[in-house]
Amino acid sequence: MMNSNSKNFANKGPGGRNGPPPAKKVKGIDEKKPNYDEEYGEPDEAFMFAEMDSDDLIGQGPEVKQTTAKWARPSVPELSEEKDGLIFQQLDIDYYTDKAMKGMPGAQSGTVATMRIFGVTRQQNSVCCHVHGFAPYFYVSVTTNFRPEQCRQFQEALNKALIADSRSKQEIHEFVLAVDFMERESMYGYHENKKSPFLKITLALPPFIAAAKRLLERGEIAAPFNSMAYVAYESNIDFEIRYMVDADIVGCNWIELPPGSWRLRSHSTGHPITRCQIEVDVAWNKVISHAPEGEWADVAPFRILSFDIECAGRKGIFPEADKDRVIQIANMVSLYGETEPFIRNIMTLDTCAPIIGSQVMSYKLEDELLDKWSDFVREVDPDIITGYNICNFDLTYLLNRAKHLKRSKFDFLGRIKDKKSAIKETMIQSKQMGKRENKSINIEGRVQFDLLLVLLRDYKLRSYTLNSVSYHFLCEQKEDVHHSIITELQEGNPQTRRRLAVYCLKDAYLPLRLLDKLMCLTNYMEMARVTGVPLSYLLTRGQQIKVVSQLLRKTKEQGLLMPVHKAEAGEEFEGATVIEPIRGYYSQPIATLDFSSLYPSIMMAHNLCYTSLLNPRDKDKLKEDEYIKTPAGNYFVKASVRKGLLPDILEALLSARKKAKKDLAVETDPLRKKVLDGRQLALKISANSVYGFTGAQVGKLPCLEISQSVTAFGRMMIEKTSAEVEAKFRVENGYAHDAKVIYGDTDSVMVKFGVSTVEEAMTLGREAAEFVSAKFVKPINLEFEKVYFPYLLINKKRYAGLYWTKPDKFDKMDCKGIETVRRDNCQLVANLINTCLQKILMDRDPDGALEYAKQTISDLLCNKVDISLLVITKELTKTDKDYANKQAHVELAHKMRKRDAGTAPKLGDRVPYVIIAAAKNTPAYLKAEDPIYVLENSIPIDAQYYLENQLSKPLVRIFEPILGSKAESSLLHGDHTRTRSVVTSKVGFMANFATRKSACVGCKTVLPDDSAVCKFCKPKESEFYQREVGQLYALEEKFNRLWTECQRCQGSLNEEVLCSNRDCPIFYMRKKVKKDLCEQEKLMKRFGQP
Amino acid sequence: MFEARLLQGSLLKKVMDALKDLLNEAAWDCTDAGIQLQAMDNSHVSLVSLNLRAEGFDKYRCDRNLSMGMNLGSMSKILKCASDKDIITIKAQDNADTVTFVFESPEQDKVSDYEMKLMNLDQEHLGIPETDYACTIKLPSSEFARICRDLSQFGESMVISCTKEGVKFSATGDIGTGNIKLAQSAKVDKEEEAVVIEMQEPVSLTFACRYLNSFTKATSLSKSVQLSMSPEVPLVVEYKIEDIGHVRYYLAPKIEDEEAA
Repeated sequence: MMNSNSKNFANKGPGGRNGPPPAKKVKGIDEKKPNYDEEYGEPDEAFMFAEMDSDDLIGQGPEVKQTTAKWARPSVPELSEEKDGLIFQQLDIDYYTDKAMKGMPGAQSGTVATMRIFGVTRQQNSVCCHVHGFAPYFYVSVTTNFRPEQCRQFQEALNKALIADSRSKQEIHEFVLAVDFMERESMYGYHENKKSPFLKITLALPPFIAAAKRLLERGEIAAPFNSMAYVAYESNIDFEIRYMVDADIVGCNWIELPPGSWRLRSHSTGHPITRCQIEVDVAWNKVISHAPEGEWADVAPFRILSFDIECAGRKGIFPEADKDRVIQIANMVSLYGETEPFIRNIMTLDTCAPIIGSQVMSYKLEDELLDKWSDFVREVDPDIITGYNICNFDLTYLLNRAKHLKRSKFDFLGRIKDKKSAIKETMIQSKQMGKRENKSINIEGRVQFDLLLVLLRDYKLRSYTLNSVSYHFLCEQKEDVHHSIITELQEGNPQTRRRLAVYCLKDAYLPLRLLDKLMCLTNYMEMARVTGVPLSYLLTRGQQIKVVSQLLRKTKEQGLLMPVHKAEAGEEFEGATVIEPIRGYYSQPIATLDFSSLYPSIMMAHNLCYTSLLNPRDKDKLKEDEYIKTPAGNYFVKASVRKGLLPDILEALLSARKKAKKDLAVETDPLRKKVLDGRQLALKISANSVYGFTGAQVGKLPCLEISQSVTAFGRMMIEKTSAEVEAKFRVENGYAHDAKVIYGDTDSVMVKFGVSTVEEAMTLGREAAEFVSAKFVKPINLEFEKVYFPYLLINKKRYAGLYWTKPDKFDKMDCKGIETVRRDNCQLVANLINTCLQKILMDRDPDGALEYAKQTISDLLCNKVDISLLVITKELTKTDKDYANKQAHVELAHKMRKRDAGTAPKLGDRVPYVIIAAAKNTPAYLKAEDPIYVLENSIPIDAQYYLENQLSKPLVRIFEPILGSKAESSLLHGDHTRTRSVVTSKVGFMANFATRKSACVGCKTVLPDDSAVCKFCKPKESEFYQREVGQLYALEEKFNRLWTECQRCQGSLNEEVLCSNRDCPIFYMRKKVKKDLCEQEKLMKRFGQP
Repeated sequence: MFEARLLQGSLLKKVMDALKDLLNEAAWDCTDAGIQLQAMDNSHVSLVSLNLRAEGFDKYRCDRNLSMGMNLGSMSKILKCASDKDIITIKAQDNADTVTFVFESPEQDKVSDYEMKLMNLDQEHLGIPETDYACTIKLPSSEFARICRDLSQFGESMVISCTKEGVKFSATGDIGTGNIKLAQSAKVDKEEEAVVIEMQEPVSLTFACRYLNSFTKATSLSKSVQLSMSPEVPLVVEYKIEDIGHVRYYLAPKIEDEEAA
């Protein structure tokens, strides 16, 4: 065991990065060598920081108890090592360090790294496979005067240097297992296809790589090896990736261990260290890995556990694990590919009335509840654990709570018998997602697939609460029990606890439904297969690792080595081109010509790659026709001289996508269809991410020459396309009209051919696409895809139109860059713009659209708009002091924290707010208020703000092309803006002081008493009464409908509605109508007894 | 039919100046007793109350009670078209949706009329109950305007303390503090230039300067201003308009630890 020697390297550690070591899954018990990790850690685009947990995570784990046949996995069939092969789908790969096993390849003594593969067989049996004999290695370049015979001597010298460096008193003597001399080629730049000398240095354990690299680069090795300029290659590759690349394993593929190659660990023959049903040892070179094709494209019946917990919090305080009890845990277990869970249960503290379709288990003590849940997890043995925000809340809370209650057996949730799960804080920062604080928990052998993290990665939403997510994707509202009511319900009776249990079960069930609906698992598995990284990497790591994994697989075939790039920010380069739009409303069809997979096809067409990058100095060594100069001024050799890696990878990806699409078309099995669809999507994303990889300045291997050449080619092609089309389609050339390019962006060009029907435009579009395609190098292909008719071109990247792919009917309304999709606006803007566009484009009724806009503005000024439509959300990304300028949502979060710390938004939350009326010149950041607070205290909304700052610009933008310059005045200052209503706030000093006087229902004049009408309106009193009664009935009906809607949502029609779901428009409506109704009833009383 | 003729047209212009800083739109309630306007400002911290009695007008006719919603911005634009010496008449039909302003030059050689669209305002009518105040301070309106302007340089809020000795206005801020003390005038030459304090008990309250500054827009309406204070009720700042009525402003005192809503 190597725990104690770790800090010895620390003293000599390079002064480089000071940050704590990068967070990685805890792979083995011995991986606590922070300083080895300094160099080993990769400067990915996602910098992750973590505190290494110093607690010893080893304990005596409990045995799995088997309680019911329903929970446990099917029993293992009789297996014979000699006759049976073992086939399973792997889900997770990690490594650990242990004593070398006898009879396996690799080092025969000392401590070695052993890979561990977790998976499931087709028969639902869980498998853990220990793979022995694979050792970590890296390469260094050496000068030509290094003679191959010196390898032995070099190995000893390096070994000595490492021993000296570690100053270890430990028994490790063999750091360097082997040094091999070989001829390889660096993948960066064109080297006339000549190989140069390299050393492959194989080490005992992965962390030694960084140390060896450091020693070599600094020349801290005995003569004569100290003066050679070593450059390290592939020293920054994760060990798991290294293994997977070398063993040809991709994420989530099928593994076969042929008969006779494996040894079963059982209680009699060895020591199973995991809870897996089948635990075997195998030599690494005996493992057969199946590419995910044909019958191996299947997915094994993984067990997916989704769970949710409820805690009894105290009023106003978010639950804290050392104080607040866990009162319920709901569990749903399903098999991959089945839509309904086969286990549904809920564990409750105290009694609970029965729930149809779910098993209710009640416990007297919380200790018991926690222990039973832990037992349950071990017995069900899930491969994937999911839920909503489980990583940052549920799991963390349970572990902390169990620790507080001293439940010693609770922590053993993973598949390694004696390994406890523990929490680590990590900070992840990436371009894609911004800065995020996360908790990472080690549960070996089970993949944590937190749905919230998936959604945060893949979808841009206004709100990420489970309520709003389920509404967004499943179109179902869900009851939200505010956590202040939870305690009340818990302390009630079995019926109220049942109420809570139903709610809790729903929260466990929804993530499963969402996973199914969004096909997250399928898509992620396919992504893992396509890019060759483990499933868990996709959620915890950045984009780059995926491309690296693909590159390594190619370089291995071609004898190339990947250099180690030092991350540093570089200069920016010019992006894609945009042809200046000719703005307006086009009532003629506009044909759109698209380059399909523009950037990948440019890279393929021009052979742009690391390996083909030609140093300008060397270009004279080649013939004119052997290289090209890109529009960005860089030189690349042609494919005839050296075919690039990237074009190779891209070709493979795109042809695989074509195949997947073809298979998809003929596949009939719905499950396989899903898999294929997920795959073609993953392939498309991967192909596009290659370009991004070359442009990522702080990435693994950026290459500005490639990325800037790609965009330069793109710009050139768009311009050329535009010129070609306008030159060919002219009246002189026999066409009916002159064509005009009205807009072009990145990979598409919009052409107005002047024809009046969609059909004609399509014919010309196809002709143009074919004509232009012929002028470019293969496989660049200009496709005619769609016609916009009519088309509203507002500005660069802002347009809307009806989208036609066939001449008889349009497919959809397509909007780009318009407020319908942006999140920093209130819903009202999106709805209004959307409806206006529909009226303009679909109904061809611009006047109707204008009328509608005016009506909406009028409603806004009369306070008739639902508050839910006015809510703006912004994410609280930084703490208070990090914001340079005052911002509305930050100020509000601050204010809310003062009112009630428990419900106030926290870092990373999206804060919903509305803008309230305030004195003139009050800065907007002080006008933000919590929508619920506004509703409850009838604080007036700043309608003018919404009109001027939210609605006006987008509205004017879409109406300007139609109405011209008078759009603004007619929209914002017309007659419809002259009716307003203002509510009187219920908070504030003046509100308590001023008395309200009644006004006449008819003419609004002040009345001396509390009657309904003034003396002048008296003759018409009955008429007004009719009107107000009608109003009352309308409100009553509305309220009843909303109330039943909510009752239906909570699943019970004879209980009071408790829900306070802030993402649900019904909730706001219900609150508002309730208040209006009270007012109206008061008004009716003024008419006196009828 | 509603008609109100005011010989001193400039008075209406000054009234507009006194209102439009605080209010965007307001309902003018017309009865046979006169014209009243009461409204809270947008932030619901202050309240404005305007009263113009019927007998102050040269001619006044109001057949039935009316509540006319007017956009004060627009109204102010229209009144800017009148010269200071013009005679102004406000006219409206019963149940009309417009109001007409007629400006006559003193020599009757020029008559202009402007019609303005009314707004349909749906808001609560508020009233302020009559209260007895612990102290009232009468001082020249220009003095008060000056004090508010000067002290608002120091901080967002101003303390007004009234004791037997006199009244003290003070403000504290980043640059320092400012104190202004006014003593009761010993002898009075001109009544409107006097500082007169009537006090039952000492009072000290804090107010937001921005509102006080808005109130002083009414300075031109009257030579003197009267401040009335009691603990835990709003401050009243009253400008009497000679022969016709008054403008009163009510302002909630600031309470420690409470943010301005």
